[in-house]
Amino acid sequence: MAEHGFDVKRLPGAAVLAVTTFIILYIPMVILVSYSFNSGKVIGNWEGFSLTWYGAALQNAAFLDAAINSLILATSASVISTLMATMAAIATTRAAKFRGESTIHIILNQPLMVPEIVLAIALLIIIGQIKQATGYTGLGFLIAAHTTFCIPFAYLPIRARLEGMDLSLETAATDLYATRFYTFRRVTLPLLAPGIMAGFMLAFVISLDDVVMSDFLKSPGQETLPTYLMGELRRNLTSEIYAISSLLLLISVLIVAGSWVATRKKN
Amino acid sequence: MILSETSRRWALAMPAVVTIMLFSILPLGVVLFYSFLSPGDFGNVKWILSADGWFSVLFERDIFDDTLMVSDAHLTILGRSVGLSFATTLITLVFGLPTAWFIATRPAAQRGFWLFLITIPFWTNLLVRTIAVQEMIRSEGVFNRVLMALGIIHEPLQMMFTNFAVLLGMAYVFLPLMVLPVYAAIEKFDFRLTEASYDLYASRFYCLRRVIFPLVRPGIIAGSILVFVPALGAYVTPRIMGGGKSMMLGNLIDMQFGQGRNWPLGAALAITLTILVLVALIWYTRLTSGRTERNHG
Amino acid sequence: MLDIREISKRFGYGNGVVTALHDVSFSIAEGEFFTLLGPSGCGKTTLLRLIAGFSAPSGGALVLDGKDIAGMPPNRRPVNTVFQNYALFPHMTVAQNVAFALEAQGRRREEVVPAVDEMLKLVQLVQLKDRKSSELSGGQQQRVALARALVARPRILLLDEPLSALDMKLRKEMQIELKRLQRETGLTFIFVTHDQEEALTMSDRIAVMSGGRVQQIASPRELYDRPANHFVAGFIGESNFLAVQANGGAVSIGTATVTLAGARDGPLTVMIRPEHVTLGTSLPDALNLTATVTQLVFFGTDTHVHLRLPDGTALVARIQNALHGGRSFNEGEAIAVALPAEALRITAKAEEQA
Repeated sequence: MAEHGFDVKRLPGAAVLAVTTFIILYIPMVILVSYSFNSGKVIGNWEGFSLTWYGAALQNAAFLDAAINSLILATSASVISTLMATMAAIATTRAAKFRGESTIHIILNQPLMVPEIVLAIALLIIIGQIKQATGYTGLGFLIAAHTTFCIPFAYLPIRARLEGMDLSLETAATDLYATRFYTFRRVTLPLLAPGIMAGFMLAFVISLDDVVMSDFLKSPGQETLPTYLMGELRRNLTSEIYAISSLLLLISVLIVAGSWVATRKKN
Repeated sequence: MILSETSRRWALAMPAVVTIMLFSILPLGVVLFYSFLSPGDFGNVKWILSADGWFSVLFERDIFDDTLMVSDAHLTILGRSVGLSFATTLITLVFGLPTAWFIATRPAAQRGFWLFLITIPFWTNLLVRTIAVQEMIRSEGVFNRVLMALGIIHEPLQMMFTNFAVLLGMAYVFLPLMVLPVYAAIEKFDFRLTEASYDLYASRFYCLRRVIFPLVRPGIIAGSILVFVPALGAYVTPRIMGGGKSMMLGNLIDMQFGQGRNWPLGAALAITLTILVLVALIWYTRLTSGRTERNHG
Repeated sequence: MLDIREISKRFGYGNGVVTALHDVSFSIAEGEFFTLLGPSGCGKTTLLRLIAGFSAPSGGALVLDGKDIAGMPPNRRPVNTVFQNYALFPHMTVAQNVAFALEAQGRRREEVVPAVDEMLKLVQLVQLKDRKSSELSGGQQQRVALARALVARPRILLLDEPLSALDMKLRKEMQIELKRLQRETGLTFIFVTHDQEEALTMSDRIAVMSGGRVQQIASPRELYDRPANHFVAGFIGESNFLAVQANGGAVSIGTATVTLAGARDGPLTVMIRPEHVTLGTSLPDALNLTATVTQLVFFGTDTHVHLRLPDGTALVARIQNALHGGRSFNEGEAIAVALPAEALRITAKAEEQA
């Protein structure tokens, strides 16, 4: 006698395909990480566990430069874009429709609608002219570009959070003689914080992971982690690549885990 | 200073709007303009208007007798881009739908775990994941080594730098993009409806066809667009998996700004790509605005 | 035609086991309007789901037309359900919803269309046949759910508290509707509800359930007049319970005594319905007592007279408000109360019933 009865949520074959998919998704990444611990020089010939490649990477000046660039870039871009996105979200959410609102909305989402390579060459053209004219080759261009495409990524979670917020709290605050700014500072902002945090982390990861834009807009000698990685791929296939890749992987896992824990706590 | 409500809201949104206009929208206009110029001798452009850029998207002149021919190379690349994007979408559907279903039907306690598992690849660097895939199928890669060790083959299979490699790479990196919207749709699905359908003699397949699928469809369409559009404009994955032999539109564009030294052509190609993407997005909006189940029987 | 034989259902395992049904057994005849009645948690919905096939029994057999269906999946059983929340397919029209069962069985169009039309006529929804099911009112949705479940002429129609979401007036209308439908189609209905009034008005027989057991199965009249135990007596209709002493075939409260058949010696509980409590006089063959009127409650058709006996026991009497004559009572007044022996029922205190 079947104890469990008829499971309406069961679709034959789904579980098998699903688990297979998970395995297929993870095997390449697991192998990649395992290579980074391989002490041997030839990729694929397992010669023993070692951290030499990580060491090599950390002593590699080019790698360190790229890492620092990436960090500066990601931090600046995410801070600035989150700031702008927060302001924009407040401007466009929970308002009675005002003139131009949908226009603003479209503009804010525009970078998502155009393939990145198109934006990359577009900026290449413009920035190329500016470089010629001014001779400036610093990180500024990249920061501007990253900030731009990070804005929609920061905007969406903040807006979502804002829309889900209880308006009555702010009404209560105003009822208690708070000025607009005070209400914002003491009531709105703290409640909005998780959304802002989510937007910030999203922007950070997007910037850190960016390949196309950075590759096109960087000046000679200027590298970010992903562009450095891509360059190394073509030059020499050493296990150092896997070490760097594993590091990037680790950062992603940490950020995802971090935001997971953060959202668990909130709920 | 007392501003009207509208002005105040505009002011708040200004920084974001201005940034995007300056660095995203305006540049697009520049690209459009550049597509009508002539290529410079060492890259960049000469300020002479010309339709050659657009012309060269699809056509070329024979170098000897100047006759017009359709550019096979370009056509192949365009076809490959659209074709592989469709194929990628299909593959991610085949693997992504059951995965989304599986996660959504786990008991609540387990679900977080599976979601976590699918979110990690989603946030992992595209480049890193492409490198991981590449490692599997290159000549000295895992696949070949295993097959050779088992004695099934004696020489490594050449899988890299083919359409297959690009397809595999794109399906691998874009799969999580399909799973998440479909998961969201299934999660909202009312399973009491499936109970009702089984009560009324439906087989599992019939229930899937007439009850589950129509109600989950918006999520499936969203996932498809979320895969198709990035696939169409893909650059990194085709570059690494396809090399120079299996180029997609993004790589072709890149070439014009590199060794190809034909910026107007690159610009025209870029606008073409943008238009293709816009068409896909418009088609998506049409599909998702108020579709009803057509009459059966 | 449906035999439920020692069906039990347990959830969980080890120390956390919950027994939802304890060896339930009874039979339902063809063409009956049978009701499972009880408070929430009594096991009625669990039993319904077992019959529908969404759950499997932990023990016992479900025999339909001579075959054990316990192992049969729900989509093979000739049993259809009207769900509490209707579960109409929101993306389909009324007609498509109703046609579903037939189309799922692969019937051809020529068969399906007339059957659907006939069913829509039966529930009086013909004019709405092309409306989307999500655009209907509660009452209309309910009728679609009915039509949808009836169209395939199942051996049994299960109804899981289908009227609970409707307002009072609509409910009463639908009760009459359902009864009519059952008569016209001649199908066997198994109806689940917690509303005893509803059960009494509609059913041929009622199974009163509590704590995973069947307390009594009988016709509405029988349940009302001769409740088998304390629980049934208290659940069906209104009742007054009195503690009495029995000795040698007679029961007494204080000095009042009356002969009552079946009274075992010792303390007992007896039950009497409010409408049988006679006021203002004493009767032969009755417990004649004096009580104080504590409250009068006007109900339109009747008045409830709340009384208190000298020992503190509360009683409620129900008298019809006649056009002429009839005594009126005042709060605080002491009046005579007569409890006729033939209206007294002995009820066991405990709910466990053999």
